[in-house]
Amino acid sequence: MFQSMNITASALTTQRLRMDVISSNMANVDTTRATFDDGEWQPYKRKSVVLETKGEGFSSFLNTAMNRDESVGNGVTVSSIIQDDETPGELLYDPDHPDANEDGYVELPNVDPLREMVDLMSATRSYEGNVTVFNANKSMMMSALQIGKS
Amino acid sequence: MNLFSGTISQLEQGLAYSSLNQKVIANNVANVDTPGYKSKDVNFERMLQDEIQMTSSSFQPSNPKHFEITPKQSTSGVHQRSFSVRENGNGVDMDREMANLATNQIYYDALIERLSGKFGSLNSVIQGG
Repeated sequence: MFQSMNITASALTTQRLRMDVISSNMANVDTTRATFDDGEWQPYKRKSVVLETKGEGFSSFLNTAMNRDESVGNGVTVSSIIQDDETPGELLYDPDHPDANEDGYVELPNVDPLREMVDLMSATRSYEGNVTVFNANKSMMMSALQIGKS
Repeated sequence: MNLFSGTISQLEQGLAYSSLNQKVIANNVANVDTPGYKSKDVNFERMLQDEIQMTSSSFQPSNPKHFEITPKQSTSGVHQRSFSVRENGNGVDMDREMANLATNQIYYDALIERLSGKFGSLNSVIQGG
């Protein structure tokens, strides 16, 4: 009965986690000391979430096996948080910086604030869309409770 | 005389359809950012076909075009659409989903309204006006 609310709740949780990751990226936009590898400080690397459909579980396989129709699904979940080690960070010339290399360059995190802002807007809009669905669902349930009252 | 005359069970079927549709819309909106997710919808015509095929044999139509609508609990009729609207393979069209959401909500409320009306008139009959 509350399945659609659970679906929407999973999406709200997911979008909030996505926003947490974006916050972390923005907060660490200048962090040059994130991890300590081989006696050297490494800058912060951009993180992002991987979303995945929830509900590709037992019931959906059973339905497929029984030649039944597609199941509705159970919402969305974050399958993993990945770190972008590929994109190189910007190099800043600052020989006095304690983390500067031999040539005097400091590697900054590979976080692009513009991209983070776009992702932030996207997450906000998705969250709002899900809130709209939740409210619609709630008002439908409330009207269902009015059956028989007069 | 059949006091309930099938109206209540038919409205109940309508509510079941509407609830299923609501779940499908919720799932589509939830997966708006999932790469590769394809939008799903409830195919009303297919559900209707299922209902026609489920017609019980006790029903004797006076015209071959008549059919009986039998109450049936069913989650069939959900099917996946195959196209994507974004470059990551996602097929959720937010405008469409929001329009469906509004339509479905009004439809549900209308059914509830009729169901309440039915109970109200029954009540009126029971109390003798």
